Amino acid sequence: MRRLGDTCPVTQAPAVVVRDLHVRFGDVEAVSGVDLTADSGQATALLGRNGAGKSTTMKVLAGVVPPTAGEVTVGGHDAATDALGVKRVVGYCPDVGGLVPRATPWEHLQLSARLRRMDEWEERGRDMLERFELGDVAHRVVGGFSHGMSRRLSVVLAALHEPTVLLLDEPFDGVDPLGVEATLEVVADARARGACVLLSTHLRDLALEACGTAVVLRGGNRVAAMQAGELTGEAYRALLD
Amino acid sequence: MRSSTDSWADALRDTGHLVAFRARTVRRRGASLVGLVVVLGLTAVFAVAPNGFELSGSGSAALDRAVAALEDNLGGAFLGLLLLAISSSMGSGGGRELLSRSEVAIHPVSPVTEHLGALLLAPLNLAWLVQMWGLLTVTSLVTASDRLLGAQLVVLAWVLAATSLGQAVGWAAEGVRRTPHGVVVVRVVSGVVVVLLAGLHLAGVLGPVVRSLPTTWLAESAQTSSWPVAVLVLLALAAVGVVVGARPAAWALGLPPREELRVQSGVHEARHAPEPRWGSPDRALLHRLDRGSVWRSVGMRRGLMVLGIGPGLVALVAGLQWSSVMLLPGLTASGAALLFGVNAWCLDGKGMVWRETLPVSAADVFGVRTLVVAECLAMVSGVTIVLALLRNGMPPLVVGAAVLSCWAVVLVQVLAIVMTWSVRSPYAVDLSSPRATPAPHASMAAYAGKLSLVTTLTGMVFTTISTGPWAWLPPAMAVPFLTYSVWKLRRARRRWLAPAERARVVLTVAAV
Repeated sequence: MRRLGDTCPVTQAPAVVVRDLHVRFGDVEAVSGVDLTADSGQATALLGRNGAGKSTTMKVLAGVVPPTAGEVTVGGHDAATDALGVKRVVGYCPDVGGLVPRATPWEHLQLSARLRRMDEWEERGRDMLERFELGDVAHRVVGGFSHGMSRRLSVVLAALHEPTVLLLDEPFDGVDPLGVEATLEVVADARARGACVLLSTHLRDLALEACGTAVVLRGGNRVAAMQAGELTGEAYRALLD
Repeated sequence: MRSSTDSWADALRDTGHLVAFRARTVRRRGASLVGLVVVLGLTAVFAVAPNGFELSGSGSAALDRAVAALEDNLGGAFLGLLLLAISSSMGSGGGRELLSRSEVAIHPVSPVTEHLGALLLAPLNLAWLVQMWGLLTVTSLVTASDRLLGAQLVVLAWVLAATSLGQAVGWAAEGVRRTPHGVVVVRVVSGVVVVLLAGLHLAGVLGPVVRSLPTTWLAESAQTSSWPVAVLVLLALAAVGVVVGARPAAWALGLPPREELRVQSGVHEARHAPEPRWGSPDRALLHRLDRGSVWRSVGMRRGLMVLGIGPGLVALVAGLQWSSVMLLPGLTASGAALLFGVNAWCLDGKGMVWRETLPVSAADVFGVRTLVVAECLAMVSGVTIVLALLRNGMPPLVVGAAVLSCWAVVLVQVLAIVMTWSVRSPYAVDLSSPRATPAPHASMAAYAGKLSLVTTLTGMVFTTISTGPWAWLPPAMAVPFLTYSVWKLRRARRRWLAPAERARVVLTVAAV
């Protein structure tokens, strides 16, 4: 049984390694040759225009979509051959929805915690719901939630089990300022305990606030990787075009 | 600028636009066309072919008695179609929708258009098709060949009239349901109707009451020279139903959907994680979540109740014999599968992506989802058999063996078919509205056609066997059917276990 508060094993090897990743859906190549490494204790922003391949890359890292070609290792697990192992070490907030419509937040947390063999998760679950101002609706079915509430709950679900690799795909989309603050705290906490954070967003300012490094994707390819501070507005716009 | 009170001409034109839009989104046009031709062809066959059988003077007393019973119950069967039209429209929140609520929200679509769309979609219902085919078949069987055309025109006119009147009642019930305490009122009234029917049956007067209704006159006059009068009356009734139905439709659609809103804001207190005596706790937890997704949906809960009780009531009212009852479990199981089973992963909606990130084996996920679908199929078809038992009493041994074997076969058959479809052709749908369907309408029609055909043919095989003297034959006959279906189910499971296939299903259902 896992206990909360255990710090993530910090190893010399990067927590996320992606080499020449290709993902194809029928005739469409969503990702074509992405290379990426992300270290433990670091937060990396994944930036790019719509259709750049950010969300698909995230889904591969979460073990949801298998890579068509290339090498993907997450927390030491090969995403192509050990998707279950990947899922055990990852916490993932998908870009859209991500909630079972007729289940309550508490039922989501319970399922996630039990399947990850977590001990004494209730207190942390309750605390996180309160931090994201979802405590009052913990036992309401999520089908009636606003978009912002759903996004906040998705972040809670991703972070509940203190994963080794935290993947947040558009976590600020439609979220109010208090929710944004709570999400930034989650990212900071994860970095502090040695987790690797990958954060995909269109909001450059928030990405720079949360992350130390930035990777820019365009047309399914990586076009730049740099320190977040170097990614000025002009530089970012130039990379997008 | 259009006024808020749209004319019928506008509504008709808008309905045409919506139908054309849906038609353009049909994935496999060729297959859809073939399906349409098959349905029309089957309708023609059921309307004409049975008339060719030489039944009078066949020498078989049992056959003569069966034909006499069918003729005697024809009025009741007419009534059954009306009850079905009412229960279907009530069960689907007034009627099916041409475009989902979220899709239509940005367009100026009037309630009259919604009403016409629901009427157009009424035939895309397995029970409706089967009932119509049943009426055509029996009418063809008991009518002299020179009166066949008139009799079948009466049947078709009755189908139109019953559908439009049923739709109007369905909208009215939905309107009542959307008023304060309306849900309770509808439930109480429905319960009273069921209790009343059961009471009449137990008092032994249900048959005479049904035979005294105008539907008996209708069934009789269809076979006489006065059929044109019956057709005209019925067409007038159908037109009245269409026009009048627009009023309750506008009323109902103007009110907030209280039951759905209540469910969407429903509170479900935390429960301890299940600790099953056998099986893994992971599977038990997934099972609870999946069951909740079914029973917390207004549409599915209502549909399962209607399917459980409705066909059984028809068996009670129309006095169906075991030979006919044998067909019902397959049809009710098919109906239940059409509520969500044909696209079983849609229970998770957009949450499918999150579900897929959970560290649980894909085999467990498939097993639990299959179990939940199987539970729903078994429950509704089981209720039908119990109600038929109430009507007919204990069957002879060979018939009992045939009923049970047939039940087991059609359950596994339907399960294997729908799990195959769920993996092969997933769709992104939002089932929060009871008017929504788990797949596009053309697909639903094809699904309904295939399921009804397969289960009816299977039922006919077991009906034939049940007339023989060997009680061992039905279970023995079930073995090859079950073997094939289990193989098919395992094939669907293998497909689901392939990561690339599973990713395709997940991304399609979650629409990402």
